[in-house]
Amino acid sequence: MSDVTRLRDRLDSVSALLEDEEVRSISRRYFISNGFDGTLTSIGVVVGAYLSGVSDGLTVITIGLGAAVGLGTSGIWSVWEIERAEKQAELMELERAMLTDLEDTAVQQRRAGARKVNAVASGIGPLIGILLPLIPFLAEGVVVSMLEATLLAIAVGVGVLFAFGAYLGSISKQNWIVAGIRMGLAGIVVAFLNLFLPG
Amino acid sequence: MSPPIRRLVLDVMKPQEPNILELATVASDCSGVDAVNVVLVETDREVQNLKLTVEGDDIDADALEQAITDLGGTIHSIDQVVCGERLVEQIDTPQDR
Repeated sequence: MSDVTRLRDRLDSVSALLEDEEVRSISRRYFISNGFDGTLTSIGVVVGAYLSGVSDGLTVITIGLGAAVGLGTSGIWSVWEIERAEKQAELMELERAMLTDLEDTAVQQRRAGARKVNAVASGIGPLIGILLPLIPFLAEGVVVSMLEATLLAIAVGVGVLFAFGAYLGSISKQNWIVAGIRMGLAGIVVAFLNLFLPG
Repeated sequence: MSPPIRRLVLDVMKPQEPNILELATVASDCSGVDAVNVVLVETDREVQNLKLTVEGDDIDADALEQAITDLGGTIHSIDQVVCGERLVEQIDTPQDR
């Protein structure tokens, strides 16, 4: 089999996985849940950094990148292990019903593929949630001050949370604006809570 | 050289997923298979029982079994085999009445 054919087969199997509603549903949960964690962490980091007197944007970005590495790794690693156990348990139940070994069948391979998609979605969520709010700090000292960059970062974070909420609202036929506002509110709450922290 | 298999009727059990459409497509892709008919006989919470009828000029029975196994299915029994130069239908005898 040529490399091109192998690559095409791989892409076909990934696109089949992405069309599978169960794979999408589980990936979506991990993506939004960890994205929510990441965004709130990012807002916490930028507000905390500003309040502790960090004077340049690059330092805030460095701290944020540390959080992104931590939460991104956590997202991928934890889901990789969670889904290993969950999918193995599902397969064992199916094997009991079928009275046969399903190792190396399409049933098992699809679960293995689904696990990878779940883990990637889980890792991308916090990366988006953390990195996007850090963008204003790239312009700190050039276009905006530290205070303005912090306020912009909170606004971007709230925007990301709104997008997560609006997306969840749209797939569940809720009012997407209300669903978006409900999620976005969490960003403002975290920013306020940080104001009352000691120091 | 053994005579070509022209029809196979199989009792197959498979998990709910992959679905019956995929099983039919995969079976029809097998070597020597011209046409496939899959009927759902019984469905359970986890598994489905199917009657799979396959016709062709020279069905590769091993390849067909392997394809079904790769999809997670198992062949419970081979319920009919027709092989030779042409299709032969079962003939009713007085004992069948």
